[in-house]
Amino acid sequence: MKYLALVALTLCSCKQKLVEVPGPLGLPPLRVERVATADEIALGKKLFFDTKLSIDKTISCASCHNPETGFADARKVSVGVGGKTGKRNAPTVLNAAYWRVQFWDGRAGSLEEQAAGPMGNELEMNHKPELLMARLAADPEYGPMKLTLERVLFAIASYERTLLSGNSAFDRYTYGGDKTALSSEAIEGFKVFGRHCVICHTIGPKDALFTDEQFHNIGVGVNAEGVLVDQGRGKGEFRTPSLRNVARTAPYMHDGSLKTLKQVVDFYVGGGNSNDHLDSQIRPLDLSGRERDALVAFLESLNGVEAK
Amino acid sequence: MKWLLALVFVVCGCAPKAVEPPGSVAGQVKFAGQVAKAVVIDMEQDPQCKKLYPEAPREEQTVVVGPEGTLANVFVYVKSGLEGKKFEAPKTAVKIDQKGCWFEPRVTGMQAGQALQVTNSDPVTHNIHPEAKVNREWNQSQAPEDGPLSRKFVQPEVMIRVKCNVHKWMRSWIGVVEHPFFAVTGGDGGFEFKDLPVGTYKLVAWHEKLGQQENTLVVTSGVKARLDFSFNGQ
Repeated sequence: MKYLALVALTLCSCKQKLVEVPGPLGLPPLRVERVATADEIALGKKLFFDTKLSIDKTISCASCHNPETGFADARKVSVGVGGKTGKRNAPTVLNAAYWRVQFWDGRAGSLEEQAAGPMGNELEMNHKPELLMARLAADPEYGPMKLTLERVLFAIASYERTLLSGNSAFDRYTYGGDKTALSSEAIEGFKVFGRHCVICHTIGPKDALFTDEQFHNIGVGVNAEGVLVDQGRGKGEFRTPSLRNVARTAPYMHDGSLKTLKQVVDFYVGGGNSNDHLDSQIRPLDLSGRERDALVAFLESLNGVEAK
Repeated sequence: MKWLLALVFVVCGCAPKAVEPPGSVAGQVKFAGQVAKAVVIDMEQDPQCKKLYPEAPREEQTVVVGPEGTLANVFVYVKSGLEGKKFEAPKTAVKIDQKGCWFEPRVTGMQAGQALQVTNSDPVTHNIHPEAKVNREWNQSQAPEDGPLSRKFVQPEVMIRVKCNVHKWMRSWIGVVEHPFFAVTGGDGGFEFKDLPVGTYKLVAWHEKLGQQENTLVVTSGVKARLDFSFNGQ
């Protein structure tokens, strides 16, 4: 709660005009309140990979947002301090700087607010803010910096704002004028995608975030009564995730229940799982085997290159 | 003496009517027509399904006939005559497996309120979709290695067509009744309902392609009645 109050204060006090930072090919300019200094970003990176952030010094942000696996977690659900597990799959941090809201249920309004979440969550880092700040103050590496919680969160968020990933084969094909960037199968998949998936995983004329930034109930995780085990935002709705780097960030869905992109395609072909609040746009798709494979090939073309 | 006689009469007249021991019925379903050629199933929609049949593609034979003209996959059940009687649903689940991109079995009978357990033994995702009209219609995705899913139909409904939303050739049928007097014929075309209370019943034999037939049957105490059905393929 203290974390949240502080973040809210930070947000409210900043009324200056947003600064636009150009994005990589295929991504829109990033709007930030203040451009971080190189030192702040370096501090954020150090903190992101530092297990001292967790109460027992075992978990860092990178434990669950692992650069080796697209800054996401290859496990179904993440494991926090003492082996505790949550119920949702950790989403990638790549391009998270663009999201209007953070978390599967959108409960955080900024990256700073998001960063505070796992630190205090007893299933994740389980570190009370005053204890964390006391530890950093006494630490020979961080102590001399005289950090505040606000600066810690800003630094982590600022590092995350550098984790932009565009310039994928799709971007080079669509926005870079390179008509050889996609295979013929991926182009066929692009067409299928345009007929069915693009409604929620949006593509714009100049750039593509592959998300409508809305919340939808697609029926993932129903029980024997046909009710979703995790109700997400209230009626089983979860944030539409971007599909950039999707081939690097298995498993899929908010509960990490689907292991491969083929399984994801088949899930949608099947019309999800029926339940009282299923989104009206989710219905069985009549796709041939070739179209299903092409769709997977297209999704594999969305692997980006991280900006340096 | 007269008093005594009168008393005996009264006693006999008032004594609770003893429940008569039940009877039973057994029979056989036969097919008298020409069996159409099996249809080759094109599993193009899912190459992984196709791979499950490396020797030859799967064929579908909706009319399965034994060497002596016996008809399999017929759902035989008591349609009427049991009104007012209550039968508790069995605690054991009825099972449908998705195996070889096929539903096993083709026809399932179960009691209203009994659990239906659906498993996926395939390396592909299935999405079972019972197109119920009386009961609630539902569909559920099952990825490879997903555990069994369990559902119930609370109302009697004969028949519920079942499809897979991912593989259009997959078909199955479920008959849901309120009592235990139902059967699905095997290769011998036979069925038997034991311990059927004395009474007059309408029995129906249903086949997915050949339609259904209805027959009236009188069950008397301790007697094993015989009732056969014959489909001619028209």
